[in-house]
Formats: sequence, structure tokens, C-alpha cells
Amino acid sequence: MALYEVSGLAKVFQRGPTVVRALDGVDLQIDAGEFVALEGPSGSGKTTLLQILGGLDRPSAGTVTFDGRDLVGMPDRQLAELRLRSFGYVFQQFNLIPTLTAVENVEAKLAPVGGTRERALEMLAEVGLAERADHLPSHMSGGEQQRVAIARALSVEPRVVIADEPTGNLDSATGGEIIALLANLAAEHGSTVIVATHDASLASRAPRRVRMRDGKLAALAAA
Amino acid sequence: MFYVRYLRNELLRRRTRTIVTLVGLGVGVALVVAISSLSNGLDRAQHKTLDPLAGIGTDLTVTLQPQQSQSTGGFGGGGFGGGGANRDLLQANRSVITDLSKLGKPGTHFVHDFFLPGTQLTFQQNTASRIAKLDGVSQVTTGLTLLAEHQSGIVPKIVATLKTQAKTYTVTKRVRPSAADFAQMQACLQKQGITINPGGGNGGGGGFGGGSRGGRGGFGRGNRAAFQKCLPKSLQQFRARFTAPSQTLKQVLNPPQTNIKTTAYTIGGVDQTHPTMGVVTTAQVTKGRFLGPAGGHEALVATSYAAKNTLKVGSKLDLNGTSFTVVGLVSPPLGGQSADVYLPLKQLQTLANEPNLANVILVHATSSSQVAQVKSEIQQLDPQADVASSKDVADQISGSLVSASNLSHDLGLALSVIAAVAAFLLAALLALSSVGKRVRELGTLKALGWTQRMVVRQVAGESLATGIIGGIFGIALGVVIALLVDAFGPTLEASSTTGTSNAFGLGVSTARTATKAVSLTAPVGITVLAIGFGLALLGGLIAGTAGALRAARLRPADALRQVE
Repeated sequence: MALYEVSGLAKVFQRGPTVVRALDGVDLQIDAGEFVALEGPSGSGKTTLLQILGGLDRPSAGTVTFDGRDLVGMPDRQLAELRLRSFGYVFQQFNLIPTLTAVENVEAKLAPVGGTRERALEMLAEVGLAERADHLPSHMSGGEQQRVAIARALSVEPRVVIADEPTGNLDSATGGEIIALLANLAAEHGSTVIVATHDASLASRAPRRVRMRDGKLAALAAA
Repeated sequence: MFYVRYLRNELLRRRTRTIVTLVGLGVGVALVVAISSLSNGLDRAQHKTLDPLAGIGTDLTVTLQPQQSQSTGGFGGGGFGGGGANRDLLQANRSVITDLSKLGKPGTHFVHDFFLPGTQLTFQQNTASRIAKLDGVSQVTTGLTLLAEHQSGIVPKIVATLKTQAKTYTVTKRVRPSAADFAQMQACLQKQGITINPGGGNGGGGGFGGGSRGGRGGFGRGNRAAFQKCLPKSLQQFRARFTAPSQTLKQVLNPPQTNIKTTAYTIGGVDQTHPTMGVVTTAQVTKGRFLGPAGGHEALVATSYAAKNTLKVGSKLDLNGTSFTVVGLVSPPLGGQSADVYLPLKQLQTLANEPNLANVILVHATSSSQVAQVKSEIQQLDPQADVASSKDVADQISGSLVSASNLSHDLGLALSVIAAVAAFLLAALLALSSVGKRVRELGTLKALGWTQRMVVRQVAGESLATGIIGGIFGIALGVVIALLVDAFGPTLEASSTTGTSNAFGLGVSTARTATKAVSLTAPVGITVLAIGFGLALLGGLIAGTAGALRAARLRPADALRQVE
């Protein structure tokens, strides 16, 4: 059985008078350990799909099961538990807590599961930021901040790492490093990775590419 | 502990926001503390002024006030109408002030104290005992407060020309000749050849009378002349002495011009056998002691009067030849029956020449709930009685203190509430805005797996910490303000005027004004501190928690979509 089973997924937003169909009948299966690149232009529904897969949002219609459990009807508490232990997020804006140092930002993910500061420092070392542990996000470059975000996402050994345009705010060289780091670490930790990107060159490095357009999955490109 | 470090970092690393919040909260709390303390201080000052009243232990003060409306016609006479009470009062006042002749010989220097009942009528002697029998009355004592006119100067010469009517006096007297007279008469008549039987003379006067009448008929003309001749000397020429009954002629004279100087003060008679109840009580003695139970020549003097006249314990007061020793200084209450000098009731009655005179009856009710009932009972007993409860007396107090206190009660309360609401709203607003700016951050925490409860707990913790620090800061600031008020606070004055300024054109001020100065303090109460502190805390906590709850209830996706 696949890790994710998605069928007939739809998401409708009411934006003032207009109804936006962000997702319009998506069927998708993702196996454990896969590295999936989600391609498509802005507004094609990539972010919405990732948020539903990561338990941050609920669909308007359709079914999503994760590891055999229904995500659509799952109570908030269990969904939060799932986000805490099974999912790790990497955002385009990094979304680090500005008042916390690098290591504290990692601890913010670890603390609810009882993780220690040592574990957080270990994770920073894995992303090559051991010496920057006590720096605030405002004193770090975009690449460094995103590496902190990756360390944070992976700190709890999640089943899935969900990265939404992780290179969107970075230059292409740094973006390449970040994708490489993410791929390597995910492989080491045995995590499934789903990355949304509009950069075809980055997507081309992924073993599996899924293309989206207007809330629907487009024809799969050859690996 | 990560959460505590997170909390601390939020406060320390968003320094500007934290400082703004703390200053806002602090000023709000300080205002609440300062205004409430000031208001407390004014209340306390007012209480202090009126406190001796409570010390009297007297719930009701009964006096008789004349019906002033009937006296507007003037002193001349017709204007009085049926105001019998007024007339009594006027005569009491007038007879004393016009009687200058008692002061000594014209031209000699005199010092005299006149005691006037002022505007209060005296009670009938049994009034006090009748009141004592009423339901709900536990104790009754009488007192006397008089206006004293201290006069000194030269006794004026008063010349009155009195012309009396012609008067007729009728005197009836029985004349009895003595035995010697009779014998002499008999001998004389015999010499003239008229014989009278001596046996018939036994009747004395009767015989003589008969003889007289008989003489008219029996003696004829020649005999009458002889009889006339023989009458004893004492009967030939009748003489009578009489003394007309003693009579004093009184006439109102225009007060003559003299150099008489007048100073007025009030004097109270105290039943010294009831030291806890009366126009002055032991509780009000500030120096020395209360009047001795024997009621000798002792006096108590109000501190303000003592200061004005350089009197102290041990000083002598000479009142119309009687020397009174000042045994204590008292701080009497404002209003009501306060006086400058207090004597034992009996002594004052003697001085005023009015034994058993009382114009104040002090009534103590069995309980405070009985006061209203007792009041109406007394008014039923004597409709003319003016019954004042402690509160009524307190209401008479006027002056800067009362206005300030009333101001503090109204405006101060309003300001306190405004300050408290402002502190509350400020705390709430700052907490809300800080949460509002962090919706994305809170969304991120939720995305990381934080439950709604954890997010709310974190934010509420921050609000709590801010509230505590801001509250402490505010309390410190408020206490400093209160201390400054204590150190540099103004002195407030309260005065009370009873009576009318010029009653019935007597030319004598019957008004009594008592003034008391109290310095303003701003006592800081624990309650005030707690309220100010609690408000800041509550405002921040409620708003912070509400904001956090609202943010935390958003789906993480929606929270993350918020623009920072």
C-alpha cells in the first residue's frame, strides 16, 4: 500500500465574489521513501496540495489517506500530532521564529516531543551550521536560514518532509545546494520528500516529477 | 526549559514592543494607584474631620429652632405674629444685652461675659426624661450651648427721665384713744360742765364712738365746741404714715455710645457625669484631661480657640468673677454642637443665670438601625424639635475639604475608573496587537506540530509576565506619586457654620463657624495596589489569550497565508 493515497481531491476558495478552484480532482499515490518534485507555475495548486498532504489544511472534496489513516476527517488534535511527529516542513519564507536563535528554532520542533538541545545542535551540525547555533535568523543569510529550517524539519525523524518552494528566495547556486542537502539528508533519515518548485532544472534532479496546471495533474514527464 | 527561554526571548528580543507595553501598563496602573490613593486620602481627611462626631457616641442631636419665616416682619412687634417661641428667644437674647446698668457705676471699666441662647430655644425640663422613655433610646444626656459675648469697656451713663402719673392713696385706719386719753377727756368735759357716766366708758373705742354720735344728737352746739376742745391731741390732728410697695420702672433705652469691645465665642455646658456622651467627650481630649466628675470650676478649651487666645492646660479663664481652670484641650467635631469653651453644665447654668437650662439633648439609640425610628418618635413628641443625626451634621460641613472630597468621590471615582479602563484597554490593545503581528509565527508553530493549547499557553504566559512586570512598575510609580503628595500635599480646610448670621436684627452674630485644617495625604492601600495590579494583569491576560486563541484556531494554512 502506498504512503499517500489521494483521489478526487478538490479545494475551493472563496476570494470575494469569485470562486477559485485551487485543486480540481487530483488523484495521486506516493510511496514511502520517494523523492517527488511537484512542478507547475504559480497558482497551479502546488501549495494547496502540499498543505493538504501535510495536514495543514482540509480539502473541499475527495479523500486523502496517509499510512492508511484518513486525513480529511481526522480531528485537529490527531492532525497536530501527525504534523509534530510525522511531517517536517520547509517553507519558501523559511518561517523561522525571529526571536529564537538557530538552535532554539530547531528546539521549537523538538520540545513538544521531548527532544533535547543536544539533539538540536546535532541537527545543526548535519546541515553545517554548528558554529552559527546561537545566531538569530536576522543575522543569517537566506541559505543559512533555510538550512536551519531543514534541520528543524528533520529533527524529529519525520516520515515525510514537505518543502514548498524551498529555493524560491535563494539564488540558483544556493538553491542547488539546498536541494542537494535536502535530498541527501532525507535519504539518510529515510524520509519521503515532496518538493514543490517552479524551477524545472531543480525538478529535473528529482527521481519523480509531477506537473500541475490549473489545479489538475498534467501528464507525467518521463523520469 | 525551552518554553521559558522562548518567553524570555520574546520579551527581551522585542525590546521596543516590550518597553512600550510595560510603560503603558505601568502608567495606567500608576494612575489607578495614585488617583485611588488621593481619593482615599481625601476620604480619610474628611473622616478625620468628622471622626470626633462618631466619638460622641451620639446618634441624634435634638435642638429647638424657632420658625424663622415668621420673624421676617422685623423686630418692631407686629411682625412676630404667633411666633411665641420667637418672642421668648428674643427676650432671652435682648434682656441680657441691654442690661448695662448691672455692670457698675457709669464711667467705670468693666469686663463681662454675656451668655445668649443664640438661635436655639431651651427645652422644657421634662423633655429629656420623656425622650429617654421612647423605644430604641438607650441613653439621653442634656447639654447647653450658648453664644458668649465677651464685652469690655466703660459702663455708659444712662439717664432716663421717668414721669409718673398722679396717684391717689386711700387709707382706712381705726383710731383707738388710750385709757389715759379717755380719762383726760372725761376730766376736760367735766370741767366744761358735761358729765359722762364712767360706767359707760368700758367699751373703749366703742364707747367713744357712741359718745361721738351721741354728742351730735345730745350735746347741742355749745357742747360740740367743748367736745372739740377736749379731744386728745392725737385725734385732733389725724396723721398716717404709709409706704407704697416697691416698684421697678423699666424702659427700653437706646444703647448709648461707649467704647465697649465685643468678642464672640461659643460656650458649651457638658454633663461631666456622662463623659462618653455629650457636646464634648473624653475621646476628643487631645491634651490634659476631661472635666472632673465633681463639676467644679474647670473648663475644656477647643484647640483652635486655645491657639487664638494663647490658652493652655492650667490657664485661668475669668468668667464674670468666677475663675475656671483649663484642665484640657479638646478637638471637637465640626458642625453640630461644637463650642470654643466647655464648662460643667451646672456651672454654665449658674453663669447664665438659668438653672436647669438646656438647649441640646443628645440621644443615643440602642442600635444604628433604630436611629430613623427614634428620630421620628422625637419629632412626634415635639414637632418643633430639630433632630439631627450624625449624618445630617456631617452634611453641614462645607469647605475645600468637602468639595475636594466630593470632587474626589465623583471626579476621582470617574478618573479612577477611566484610568483603570485605560490601563485595561491599553494592556488589552498592546497584547492584541502583539498577537496580531505574530499570526504567521503562531501558524508556523502549529505547522511544526504545536497544539492550539500549547500556542495559547505560550502567548498567555508572555502576557502574564508582561502584566506582572508592568504592574510592579506601575505600583512603584504610583507609590512614588502618592509619597510626593504626602510630602508636598496641600492643607485642606473644612468649615461649618450653624445658625444665622444676624438673627432677628439683634446686631449680634449668632452664627458659629468652626474651622478645621487637615493636611492631605494619599495613603496607599493594599486593595488599591491589588486592583491596579490585577487590572493590568487581567487586561493583558484576557486580550493576549483571546488573541492567541483566535490565531491558534486558524488552520495553519490560513495562519501561514497572513502577511507579516
